[in-house]
Amino acid sequence: MHRLYLIPTLLINVAIIFIPAALTIALAFCRWDGMGIPVFVGLANFRQLLADRVFWMALGNNVIWTAIFLTVPIAMGLLAATMMLVARRGSAFFQVIYFLPMVIATAITARVWQGMIYSPLTGIAGLITRAGFPVPNPLTQTSTALYGIAVVDLWHWWGFLCVIFFAALRQVPQEQIEAARIEGASFWQMLRYVLLPGIRPTITLMMIMTIIWSFLVFDFVYILTQGGPAFSSEVLSTLAYRSAFYDLAVGKAAAVAVVISLFGLATTAVYIRLQAKEFDQ
Amino acid sequence: MDRRTFLAGSLGVSLVPFMSRLAFAAGKPVTWWYESAAPAQQEAIAKVLVGGFNAAHPDYSLTVDYRGSELDKQMRVALLSGNGPDVVYTAGPSYVAPMARAGQLLALDDYAEKLGWNKRILPVFLEMGKYDGKLYAVPKTYETLGLFYNKAVLEKNGWKAPTTLAEMEALADEALKAKLVPFASGNAGWRGNNEHYVTIAFNSIAGPENVYKALKGEIPWTAEPFVAAINKLNDWWQKGYFGPDYFSLETEQFFAQMAAGKSPMLPSGTWHFQYIQSYFKDNADQCGFVGFPSADGLGAPVYALGVGSTLSIAAASQNPDGAAAAIDYVFSPEFYGAMNSVWQGEWNTPLEDLSMVKISDTVPALYAETMKTLADAVGDNKYGYTSWTFLPPATDTQLINGIEEVWLGRSTVADYLAQLDATFQQEKAEGKVPAVPAR
Repeated sequence: MHRLYLIPTLLINVAIIFIPAALTIALAFCRWDGMGIPVFVGLANFRQLLADRVFWMALGNNVIWTAIFLTVPIAMGLLAATMMLVARRGSAFFQVIYFLPMVIATAITARVWQGMIYSPLTGIAGLITRAGFPVPNPLTQTSTALYGIAVVDLWHWWGFLCVIFFAALRQVPQEQIEAARIEGASFWQMLRYVLLPGIRPTITLMMIMTIIWSFLVFDFVYILTQGGPAFSSEVLSTLAYRSAFYDLAVGKAAAVAVVISLFGLATTAVYIRLQAKEFDQ
Repeated sequence: MDRRTFLAGSLGVSLVPFMSRLAFAAGKPVTWWYESAAPAQQEAIAKVLVGGFNAAHPDYSLTVDYRGSELDKQMRVALLSGNGPDVVYTAGPSYVAPMARAGQLLALDDYAEKLGWNKRILPVFLEMGKYDGKLYAVPKTYETLGLFYNKAVLEKNGWKAPTTLAEMEALADEALKAKLVPFASGNAGWRGNNEHYVTIAFNSIAGPENVYKALKGEIPWTAEPFVAAINKLNDWWQKGYFGPDYFSLETEQFFAQMAAGKSPMLPSGTWHFQYIQSYFKDNADQCGFVGFPSADGLGAPVYALGVGSTLSIAAASQNPDGAAAAIDYVFSPEFYGAMNSVWQGEWNTPLEDLSMVKISDTVPALYAETMKTLADAVGDNKYGYTSWTFLPPATDTQLINGIEEVWLGRSTVADYLAQLDATFQQEKAEGKVPAVPAR
């Protein structure tokens, strides 16, 4: 009888996760323009992807993106959270300030950076340039476009990690912190030997989620550069979007989506193994 | 509040969205989904299109629903599920064939015959809307590319509007020396702006005959005339004709740059006429427009023909007659005059005879003259081909994105054209190339 309680969630999962996922996987083996009847083409879409240099550029950009987001915002978040823990005064205020970018809609954040900061016409970059110190718009250079977008996403994202880490740090037993203080531990020693080990599960989860989210990144890239200039900031999700909605090649887009999912799946498998190990201990 | 009051109140509130239809809709509903439109443009649609149509057709009640820039995606999903509006607004002829092939559109031949579209609409456009011999779409607007210029800047520097490619290049070089950006241009808001310049190069340098042959598959896109055209376009980029901020400027920003005298020329489409009054303000006559000069041997400027959106009727429409009446209304001289008086460049319906059209005196005469020139060029079969109208979707995407790689030194002209040709041949084999009327 108690198994009946599973039915509502099971139905929701089947309807909004399993069926679309199964359809996407099936479409990856078809040629479809999004309007007519799909035609089965076997592995042709995947073969096309392997031969497509833009796909490899996009995959490379996703890897760079993941590397950036696995290090910079996590380091910034940890540092700020630890400092808030040590110096409690004003921590509530700083939490709000750090978290604020997270509650602003992505589209607004992106447009603010594009128009008010990076733009050579209406932005701060333009103001500095007119003052005699040329500052190029990073979104317009092939060598910096991806990093220009990453800065915007970092600004929006790191505060969230900071608040999460701060919440986790507050759960570290006070006795351990006090003991370390009495023993004369420095700030870095406290961080290295007491605080970080204390919140390791949270850091691991955030790193796993960062990898998954990094392969799903779309909004900031699409709004700020649409993958350009010259594909320099193309990522897998913008490639999939362009294939599906501009090239009318939904099969190819589904194949890209399957590749994205494989990365997510692999990361999730690692996380589950790590969790299982922790339970065993 | 007790539970009964709450339920009654909730029921009442939930009925509010339907009240307008119940209370005010006298006729049978006709639905039309539209892309994004600025408040002033929505006002023009409400007054001229919806108000005008409903007043002229009391049996029908037209409603326009704004779906934003994602209209075509929403439309495809809706049609796929057998829903959607009565009037189907597509993003261009390349979208019509797949929809028609999937049986999502109604053949319009009977309406064209009954309502006289065959006599009123320029024949070329009826050909473009055909799939498998049947008419499925008519253009909502058609446009061309040319060269806007700032008369004051030209006069101040002793320059004159170019009539040949050599004159245009000489003027651009002079502008560079004068620390001006020769071409007001940019693609920050819409990457597709790239294709305006490739289209200009293909038509005004390679020539429309060669473009026609390539579209028909008689010559490849790697043929010498196209190599010369893209080489020239790349030369212009490398010399700095497009300026240092191309990837940062949005459409209205670069138009404002031209109006402010920072650029003498703006090569782009006739839809820019809508910005003249906003940016030139009281000096609207200071904005000039000429056909983009052609290379030696091509003669007069080539007017590349573009159709940015089309109108069809959904196969699942509950009111196809009402939808046909709405489309018919759009093809009336009265509507053309009233709409183009308040909003230029987006409702240039392909009427064969513009003599009955009356446009407000406040609209620059240049607009009407340009549209007349374009209509004559189309009528005389002397027109070129815009990429967004005549290329299949993936080829067009490659054309737009690939040119940035050429400009930024990440690809060669030969590789760019080879990839363009490979994509085109594949889509051609899949039957995705839109109809190309015979010359």
